[in-house]
Amino acid sequence: MTRPAFPDRPWWSRVYGQLLRAFPREFRDRWGPDMRLAFADRMRDAHRTSGRTPWKLIARELWILLDAGIKERLHASTPLPHMLHAQDIRYAFRLLARSPGFSLLTVLVLAGGLGLSTFTFSFLYTGMMRPLPLSEGDRIVRLTRIQDGLRRTQVDVVDVRMLRESMRTVHELGAYTKREVIVGREGDRRVLTTTVTDPTLFKVARTPALMGRALVPSDAEPGAEPVMVLSYRTWNVAFAGEREVVNAHVTVNGVSTRVVGVMPEGFGFPVAQDAWTPLPATMGASALTGSEYLSMFGRLAPGATHAQAAAEATSLLQAALVARDTSEQAAARMGMVVESFPAAQIGEERTLAFASMNVLAALILLLSLVNAGTLLSARANERVRETALRLALGASRGRIVMQGMWEGIILCLIAGIVGTAGVAWGLDAITSWTQAKMPDNLAFWWVWRMDLVTLLAAGAFVTVAIAVLGSVVSVRAIRTNVREVMQDSGARGGSRREGRLTRVLVAMQVTAVTVLMFVGVLSGVMARRVVTIDPGYDPTNLLQTALIPAPHRYPTVAARHEVYRLVQSGLAEHRALDRVMVRNQLAEHRSERGRFATLEASATSVLPTAHIVAASGAMSTLGIDLVEGREFTVSDDRTRAPVALISQSLAARHWRGRSPIGAQVRLAVVGDTLQWRTIVGVVSDIPYGDPLARDRTPDAIYVPVLQVDVPFVNVIVHHSATELAGRQALHEVFGAVDPLLVPGYVFRAQEVIDQAGLITTGMTKLFGSCFVFALLLAVAGTYGLMSRSIGLRTREIGVRRALGASDAMATRMLLAQGARQLGVGTLVAAPILVVVGAASTHFLPLGAMLTATAGVLVSASIIAVVLAATWLPTRKVLRVPLRDALWRE
Amino acid sequence: MRPIEFEILLTLATGERHGYAIIQDIEARSAGALTVETGTLYRALQRLVEGDLVRPADPRHDLPNDDERRRFYAITAAGKRAAADEARRMAALVEAARIARLIPGGT
Repeated sequence: MTRPAFPDRPWWSRVYGQLLRAFPREFRDRWGPDMRLAFADRMRDAHRTSGRTPWKLIARELWILLDAGIKERLHASTPLPHMLHAQDIRYAFRLLARSPGFSLLTVLVLAGGLGLSTFTFSFLYTGMMRPLPLSEGDRIVRLTRIQDGLRRTQVDVVDVRMLRESMRTVHELGAYTKREVIVGREGDRRVLTTTVTDPTLFKVARTPALMGRALVPSDAEPGAEPVMVLSYRTWNVAFAGEREVVNAHVTVNGVSTRVVGVMPEGFGFPVAQDAWTPLPATMGASALTGSEYLSMFGRLAPGATHAQAAAEATSLLQAALVARDTSEQAAARMGMVVESFPAAQIGEERTLAFASMNVLAALILLLSLVNAGTLLSARANERVRETALRLALGASRGRIVMQGMWEGIILCLIAGIVGTAGVAWGLDAITSWTQAKMPDNLAFWWVWRMDLVTLLAAGAFVTVAIAVLGSVVSVRAIRTNVREVMQDSGARGGSRREGRLTRVLVAMQVTAVTVLMFVGVLSGVMARRVVTIDPGYDPTNLLQTALIPAPHRYPTVAARHEVYRLVQSGLAEHRALDRVMVRNQLAEHRSERGRFATLEASATSVLPTAHIVAASGAMSTLGIDLVEGREFTVSDDRTRAPVALISQSLAARHWRGRSPIGAQVRLAVVGDTLQWRTIVGVVSDIPYGDPLARDRTPDAIYVPVLQVDVPFVNVIVHHSATELAGRQALHEVFGAVDPLLVPGYVFRAQEVIDQAGLITTGMTKLFGSCFVFALLLAVAGTYGLMSRSIGLRTREIGVRRALGASDAMATRMLLAQGARQLGVGTLVAAPILVVVGAASTHFLPLGAMLTATAGVLVSASIIAVVLAATWLPTRKVLRVPLRDALWRE
Repeated sequence: MRPIEFEILLTLATGERHGYAIIQDIEARSAGALTVETGTLYRALQRLVEGDLVRPADPRHDLPNDDERRRFYAITAAGKRAAADEARRMAALVEAARIARLIPGGT
């Protein structure tokens, strides 16, 4: 095999030559040629020895060269005494004060960019990344069971006990679950969301009670007095902040319970709780699998990581499952996830979401820096003669650079202070807004305020701003050619270079604003969908909860059917309710489980699909009306012939022009492998599927709940009186059927829709204003740059016109200049748009066509803006009389 | 004196060298434990030349296949004295380390 030949003039030699510029000119002139030779020798030898390109050596050489160059430059520059710095600072302040309009504009542009970047970072950091605000909050973890790496569930009570006894990487393990209870005191009754928890929770949180005491282990022992701890908010809202509430008795679901303590303000561990009650010892001690599922919390042992804890918990769980006769293959599909509570709250994509949103914020900062850089560069250009004169009189370039730097530093610091003050106000405002609008659903750590992390972020952004703007000023000062400027009566010495810089800046603006606008449009589309969400039914007065019969109390299908029947009939007869429906979605449209066969269809054809729903009771509760045939009755149980209802849309598709009543279908999902179901009715359509997706469909087949085996059902009731009466009715009926049967979390159907809309509207307004600011910056900045760039060519255009060029030719020439920058900017933006678009269609329910259309529209509007920003100053230049243009400097 | 400067003087004490030859010599002496990049070498050479410890030498044409553009460097008398002082200082340190039984061979 022949080795690749050593290239004649390899790229790394060219890069080496460029990096040599990091050294001061004198050093470069003296040592540069020899250094290049030594480097070339070294590379040739390394290539000869290994037969390959010595990447590692190249990288190290280039890095050290840059480092040495910077060090040499710093070493070579004369250190400025403090006096000189003080003089320079005073000089910079005088310069800024001399043109207050310029200073104010620059500060505003910078403050906007710095403020928005810091705000976005702080907002997202608190929302997604910040450790719990508890003692060593970063060590507190939540343990969740996961199946096939995707589906997360709570942990079986039996496994909870096993993990608590065996785990070494997580200490103080405890379990909890959420319950809704009705708390009564002196005739007043309220629904509270309580955490039924191991008393360990308070030990893990390391937070003492504000008044009274927290829960203690003896509270969970059998026969202990029922006790409850209130949150600060519940104490204030439900008990008017009375200090006497400690040791007072209230009723919790009718049971006399003593309030033993009130927790401090802002404490809501694990997420957002109104009150805490001890986890009954009977629940924790249960030896029956499937009798209860709980969430788990704990503290990582010293030195242990999340990954180690997850690995240990997974191996313990899998061993326990195998010991309980689960096949090894099935056990291997189960695992445990150990993560922080904020991570569990946001989901797996939090790091990606955090990074992407911050990249967008950084683009806004980039836009404001480009604009501020343009302003500073234009000003430096105006002072180019002054700079050249001072250089000619013997001022060192270092001194000139430092003076310019101080101007940038002062502007950035003032802008940083203004921006950070705005951030502090914004964070307070958002905390007040969320606490007012979402008091029940706000995770307790979501308190946005000015803190050390935010200040550090602001400091980092200001440092970046100083570095970028400082570089602009430095480059301008370093490149000032004294002879050229002094010989030229005007200041054209730097105009060509400035033209190049302008072109680069316009291209950067085009890239940044294209990406920002694209993301803004996609977010707007998503937000609109959430705000105008159509659940498919009227959510007014609807309450929903889950009916989950404990397997050890209801081990057979018949027993579960009996409890479903009793609860449904009890609710139907309750005077506070006028409609009740129970249902459980068995399969989704377009899934394998959603396939069904009809007698009419050919045996070889691909089976169609529909949403398969087990339902019972008044389907009109969800706005599903009978169109033809009959609804299900309580006698449609397993002793009767299997029946089904189908939606109108399905009837129209598969039984076009005739009635489907009496026709037969077979649904694999409910075990109908041999038997056929007779269609007994057709019901009106409601859309199924993700409300945000575009592929919702009303194609549905309903089967009676009492003819299928489902482990739980969702109970939906329409209350005729008050919401509280409706909630009470649920508790009463569940309790009457079985005193140990309690409803799951009861929620208003409207509440879910409202919350989704509220959060989305709020976030859309927030980020919408950021995008508008970015857009304004980009439009104003692009116009300013183009206007200046074309203005500098006034004389050139005048000469061309004098030599016979028509206005149309000049216009074409300048528009072509704008188009080139547009092309470069768009080319850089294009791959980013493709990545963002692909990610949007992957993670969000946005179609590829919609995303592509948004991309095209955004690009078209950017093209229009840039061409307009080129055309307007072009017209202005062409209106200058030829004589004036030729004399223009 | 910085270690790299001592290494360069040590190399040049045995004869004139060009830049890359100095690098090769230092790396060979340390059996690969030490890597010298060109940026580091020439900053050190600049300091040594400014301190009159090293001087540019006349180009040599006696070496086969050698690029005549290469510049050679030679140690000056002051450089030899400085290197010897540094070597003595190091030897004293080594002796002290032996006495403190940090390394074997102490008396």
